Amino acid sequence: MSKLYACIILTEATKDKEALAYVAQQFSYRLEILDDGVLFDVGGLERLVGKPDEIARQILEQLQKCGVSGNVAVAENADTALLLARQNKGLSHTIASPAEFDQLPLRNLEIETDSIRVFDELGIKTVRELQQIPTDDLINRYGPEFRKVIDIIEQNGRRFLTPNIKESSIAWKYNLDHAVEDFEQLIFIVNHGLDNLFAEIAHQALSTEHLDISFRLANKTRRDYEIKTSFPTLERSFWLKLINLRVNLDPPEAAIVSVDVTAHFTKPRPNQRGLYAVSRPEPESLLLTVNKIKKLVGEDNIGVPVLVNQRLSEAFALDADKLPVGKERIEQKTPSGIVAFNYFRPALRTEVLVRDGRLVFIKTRYFSGHVTEYSGVWKANSRWWDKSWQAQEWDIEVENNGVYRLCKVNKEWFLAGEYD
Amino acid sequence: MRHLSLVQSLSRLQEEQKYTDEILLDHVGLAITRGTVVEMAGGASSGKTSVALSLLAKLTATGEVCAVVDSTGGFDPCTAVLAGVELENLLWVRCGGDVERSFMAADYLVQAKGFGCVWLNLNGLPEHQLRMVPKTYWYRYRNRIKETPTMLLVTAAEHVTGSASQRSFQFSRKKTVWSGTGRYKLLREFDLSLLSQKGVYGKPLQTKIEMDYTDV
Repeated sequence: MSKLYACIILTEATKDKEALAYVAQQFSYRLEILDDGVLFDVGGLERLVGKPDEIARQILEQLQKCGVSGNVAVAENADTALLLARQNKGLSHTIASPAEFDQLPLRNLEIETDSIRVFDELGIKTVRELQQIPTDDLINRYGPEFRKVIDIIEQNGRRFLTPNIKESSIAWKYNLDHAVEDFEQLIFIVNHGLDNLFAEIAHQALSTEHLDISFRLANKTRRDYEIKTSFPTLERSFWLKLINLRVNLDPPEAAIVSVDVTAHFTKPRPNQRGLYAVSRPEPESLLLTVNKIKKLVGEDNIGVPVLVNQRLSEAFALDADKLPVGKERIEQKTPSGIVAFNYFRPALRTEVLVRDGRLVFIKTRYFSGHVTEYSGVWKANSRWWDKSWQAQEWDIEVENNGVYRLCKVNKEWFLAGEYD
Repeated sequence: MRHLSLVQSLSRLQEEQKYTDEILLDHVGLAITRGTVVEMAGGASSGKTSVALSLLAKLTATGEVCAVVDSTGGFDPCTAVLAGVELENLLWVRCGGDVERSFMAADYLVQAKGFGCVWLNLNGLPEHQLRMVPKTYWYRYRNRIKETPTMLLVTAAEHVTGSASQRSFQFSRKKTVWSGTGRYKLLREFDLSLLSQKGVYGKPLQTKIEMDYTDV
């Protein structure tokens, strides 16, 4: 199959780019958008359409239908097609034939201005006239770099077509013969769909980290699910498990009639780590585990702990949307033993005996004992600037038992937690 | 001959279970082997949480990802930061006092592989419920983490892991140090004693942990 390239050069650059891409896509998937037009591969269209002249005519016809003004050229070489289409810049709706190539002025070629002037003085103004000069003489005079120009005038240019227009997503759809109540029955079908989608994505050397699942339901409504990961992957079983977990968490309210899956493209994940890199769970495995545990303990009970920059009695929170990142601390500190604290959930209601302003004895439903030492009272309040001090706290040591944080709020005594 | 081949394969199995990489906790004087179940038991204020946080601090500082299965929800991230734990490398699972959920969550985490440490904190759970947990769970965990860099750290008021754990420590508080006099006292430090009940036998290790009043 011979190579064949088509080029459309717009009469007005930067205008009608979308329409231009649309016209080119009618003929080819391999297209390169240029500053002033589009270059695309029409190799193989001879069987469908006919000779190159006929292909050019049909491209021009499409161009006119879309209301875009430009010039068309079809040639066996990308450079030739480009030069031919550019020769009529300023005119509109013209077709340049390869036979016109010999008459192209040398100014259209990428030749230095000084050399053009010399050729001009020698009376060499067109490609044909330059072709008549022996190649070796030209290379001896202008250096080996002139070989590129010679290749172009001999229609052997080495320019590659670099496709630079890409879709941002790819979709797959399946209409069911009968409505299905349970999503799990559709797993095989979705599996097949993902297989197709991922094969297409992998073919384009891309990956995905975002899937949109949409169900058309029997009650004539739609149900959409957006599934995102923090890393791109094309592992089908992983995505399938993730979809299943997500749909099970919030199942559709009616039977499913059709399934749409849209995968959004992203660059693949670089997978090279250092020789001395520490072990971490694989991102797929971590995300799946977190989702499984979410199903077990609830969505708000798994995540990364974060400190809250506020004056609160418990100045921390659990960020359920975050996952551990495996960040290495540059400044290494030797861990030192500090007295840790453990909260009681819920706080332990306590009876306290106070004698002469001193804490003497405490009694809870689990233990009781004399208070041997204590420190405090510390007044505490989450929002001390707009409320009066509400909580009073003591650190207490109970005989033959532990060291606790004792709180008094509204005349009620509690053990907030234990030092451990 | 058949008997001999059986002996050979069993001995090889034992060798396979050994993982040489150890984590050293210098200030306590402990070495904890990766790929094993380690148990720390002790009563109220015996310092087991402090040592567990030191271990997490050591691992998370180098970029390892660790997980805390917080059975009762008592985990305090503020003291974890003071102990040196990198919170961004920590996965926190709150199980709301449910024993079954805690064990299931721990099971999922050890299956995931790649965690530096999974800390199953059973502190605060009723002892009668913990006694009802089948021992097979611990062997399951042990087999899951065998030959992986993950260690399963279990803290509880009593020993629960039986023979599934490679190391088991009994924590106790010898003394509580307070500074100041009268009403102006401050909790300063705990003097702890750690008695190894498996692997290495000897005198109890003595260590101190200090109160840190730094605002985080």
